[in-house]
Amino acid sequence: MREPTDPAEPLQASDAVASIDPSATSEAVPVVEAAAPQGFGALTRRGILSTAGAALAGGALLLRGARAEAQPASPSRPEAPKRASYAGAPPGMPHRDYQPVVVPNGTTLPWKLVDGVKVFHLVAEEVEHEFAPGLKALCWGYNGQVHGPTIEVVEGDRVRFYVTNRLSAPTTVHWHGILLPSGMDGVGGLNQKPIDPGETFRYEFTFRQSGMGMYHSHHDEMTQIAMGMVGLIVIHPRHPTGPKVDKDFALMLHEWRIDAGTRRPNPNEMTDFNMLTLNAKAFPATAPLVVRKGERVRIRLGNLGPMDHHPIHLHGYHFRVTETDAGRIPESAQWPETTVLVPVGSTRTVEFVADVPGDWAMHCHMTHHVMNQMGHAFPNVIGMKPGGLDAKVRKLLPGYMTMGQAGMGDMGEMGMPVPENSIPMSGGEGKHGYITMGGMFTVLKVREHTNGQEDPGWYENPPGTQATTATAAELQRDGIEVPKPS
Amino acid sequence: MKRAAMLSLALLAGGCASMQKERGHQEVAALVEARTGLKTRWDQGTPEDAEVSRHLDTLLGEPLTSDRAVEVALLNNPALQQTYEELGVSQADMVQAGLLSNPVLSGSVGVPIGNLGVTEHEFSLVQEFVDIFTLPLRKRVAKEQFIADTLRVAHEALSTAAEVRKAFREFQARRQLVELRREVLLAAEVSAEFAARQREAGNITELELATEQATAEQSRLDLSQEELTLVEDREHLNRLMGLWGPRIQWTLSESLPELPAKEAPLEHLETTAIKQRLDIDAARKQASLMWNALELAKTTRWFGRVEVGVHTHRDSDGPRLFGPTLSLELPIFDQRQGLIGKLEAQYRQSERRLTELSVNARSEVRAARARLQSLRMQAEHYRTTVLPLRDKVIAQSQLQYNAMQIGLTPLLTAKKEQVESYRGYLETVRDYWMARAELEQLLGGRLPGSTEPPPSPAPPPAPAAPEHSHEHSHP
Repeated sequence: MREPTDPAEPLQASDAVASIDPSATSEAVPVVEAAAPQGFGALTRRGILSTAGAALAGGALLLRGARAEAQPASPSRPEAPKRASYAGAPPGMPHRDYQPVVVPNGTTLPWKLVDGVKVFHLVAEEVEHEFAPGLKALCWGYNGQVHGPTIEVVEGDRVRFYVTNRLSAPTTVHWHGILLPSGMDGVGGLNQKPIDPGETFRYEFTFRQSGMGMYHSHHDEMTQIAMGMVGLIVIHPRHPTGPKVDKDFALMLHEWRIDAGTRRPNPNEMTDFNMLTLNAKAFPATAPLVVRKGERVRIRLGNLGPMDHHPIHLHGYHFRVTETDAGRIPESAQWPETTVLVPVGSTRTVEFVADVPGDWAMHCHMTHHVMNQMGHAFPNVIGMKPGGLDAKVRKLLPGYMTMGQAGMGDMGEMGMPVPENSIPMSGGEGKHGYITMGGMFTVLKVREHTNGQEDPGWYENPPGTQATTATAAELQRDGIEVPKPS
Repeated sequence: MKRAAMLSLALLAGGCASMQKERGHQEVAALVEARTGLKTRWDQGTPEDAEVSRHLDTLLGEPLTSDRAVEVALLNNPALQQTYEELGVSQADMVQAGLLSNPVLSGSVGVPIGNLGVTEHEFSLVQEFVDIFTLPLRKRVAKEQFIADTLRVAHEALSTAAEVRKAFREFQARRQLVELRREVLLAAEVSAEFAARQREAGNITELELATEQATAEQSRLDLSQEELTLVEDREHLNRLMGLWGPRIQWTLSESLPELPAKEAPLEHLETTAIKQRLDIDAARKQASLMWNALELAKTTRWFGRVEVGVHTHRDSDGPRLFGPTLSLELPIFDQRQGLIGKLEAQYRQSERRLTELSVNARSEVRAARARLQSLRMQAEHYRTTVLPLRDKVIAQSQLQYNAMQIGLTPLLTAKKEQVESYRGYLETVRDYWMARAELEQLLGGRLPGSTEPPPSPAPPPAPAAPEHSHEHSHP
């Protein structure tokens, strides 16, 4: 324990806690930022009510809160003055303290309240996961899911995570981007002993920030992250700033190597990833983001893929990047964008008002990232004339047919038998034909009316607002001469 | 006088042995037929031989089978015909051995010189006498020699038959191997053409194209080498069947047969070989005749020349004399030690040869049996495991191609590897049949169940493409 050496220096909150609650001594300083624009004492009505609740809950919390109010910003945390800490605040409750996020194709992790602490249980285990119809693989995840369920908390929540290892290998959980005591940081060997198969570890700390963090294994990362052991952490601000959002989506970007015909990701892959996913699903299995016209939409993007950054591009809107993984960006610094780069190990949050109905594509703009299991060794036959080659090859291989002279687009539609447990490298049916994209592709569906997250089907473009074949009359009218094919 | 006449008659009869043209070859033919079921013939230019020649044309007019090829060779292999002539030589020796030495008639006339005396006449008829006692033994030795020669010739015929069977399998397999080599070439050509078209579209480098083309040209050379081997294999068979002129136009319709469903029981093969191998039998006879020759020499070692005869003499004073003569060699110096020593050595030599042959035969049988079993195991392994795996590789490569995971080149590489595996399988089946012919040769007869199995080729790797199905229908 650190003893205050100068009686003039204010007591740290941890000291106070330590003197009352020995069980909390392992935790480092819950730094208090009393100098934040919104001091504890100057809080909203909700905050005051919470404080009252905390006071009822026990003297320790009350003391902690009281100390917090009294503390100046810690000089060791440069960002500290910008944000308030709500350590000691009562647990945030859904629909009261926050609007729960929508996790397309995923879930949020349930919790229960024990003595004011949100208690979660993560089970690391092997999971058979379906990436898209036709492709399942044995991955590693949490609680029967790949990726792990999204953890949703409120700034100031005290949490306790039990982590049970049901894998064949030791593991840990690292709370990525989360400010917490060093001993809770989850780096195997550095901060803790790895959790051996069959063991359950306890992590306990207080969320002292808002924004989006992530969690992932930090033991044999190359294997365990590539196998899917990642998840999102959404930390709602105790006191949200900026306009209120109506829809809050959380998406985890990831990449994998799963060869056509195999049933386990290959964690040794360094560059040639062939499964690019949003919440561990590849198009056409990605669930659309369904929004009612006029709603303010927030999309949170986290990237824990092994190697690649992803420029996520949204059609139809300009959005503003409102958060990075370290918190909210001041309004004056928010950038208007149509594409946001989400680097490996980072989160980005964008917001916009969905005021134009339609089916709007959202996808990674790296063209190979909107492909599914493509064969990276497939030869370049663009523009090649097969001539009589097919007939000759069929003498040796009856099922042969030359493919790819005009690109890869048609491949998914040909209906030729492919290896078991594999999906076409691109696509799925759209309203107007085959969508020649796969992987990190989904659709933002903005409608006048919606029924929750239920897929409303394809958008019916109003007459006159749809690209169609130009008629001869139109061409003539506008003096367009179409060159004859040579 | 009467007694003398009787004696001469007996002597004449004893020497009245003559050559028989077919003698010996009949035995050979019987031995060969018992062991192969096929007839052999010694062509001596008779009308029957002309018939045989027509039969040959008939045999060669139809597509050749292993048995037919053997039959043609047994009837027509010039080396074999040459060997048959040895039977004539051997028979002549036997006839010779059965002949008594001819009686010697000597006479002299003495004419007095001057006026005194009268002309004297003296006549004698002398017969080497010891022949009468040794003749049966000598005949036996000669006969045994003849039998040994017959066995040896029959063994030659069987060896030729085995060699024909091996050459036949070799040729039969080679035709299919050439076909497969053509498939490899086709795959390489297609691969090169694919590369050329890619190059034309500007998608690959000159280096990649040249690499593909070099591979294709190498395949062309490989095929040409294999085609040459096919011609050589055919000529080997032609030599064994003694064919030239229009007769070399024979055809072959069957592919290499499948392995017999069950392996003949391979126990007691050593004993069988010792019992029925003709060369061992010949060596045994050789040893036995050396023994008899030695016996003959030993029994007659104390006999010198014994000449018995009659002579008549007319003396000068008038009376005519008639009486027996006896001339006796006294074996004082030469008791045939040299001959006996030589025969003893030769006898031991032939015994050793018999031992050597038997020991080698047993070992060769064991080795051939092991080879047969191992080749069967390998062929089975190909058929039940390797070939299905190769088929699977093709099927899976095709799926990976359909999913655009791999290109045409690896697909064709898989095809080439499949064809190479089929080649390996064919070679193993061929070697199996050759080993079987070898084992039969070592056993001096056919293995049980060695009738030709149904002609069923190695499963051809050619695809059963729906668009080619019309090729299988008969008009």
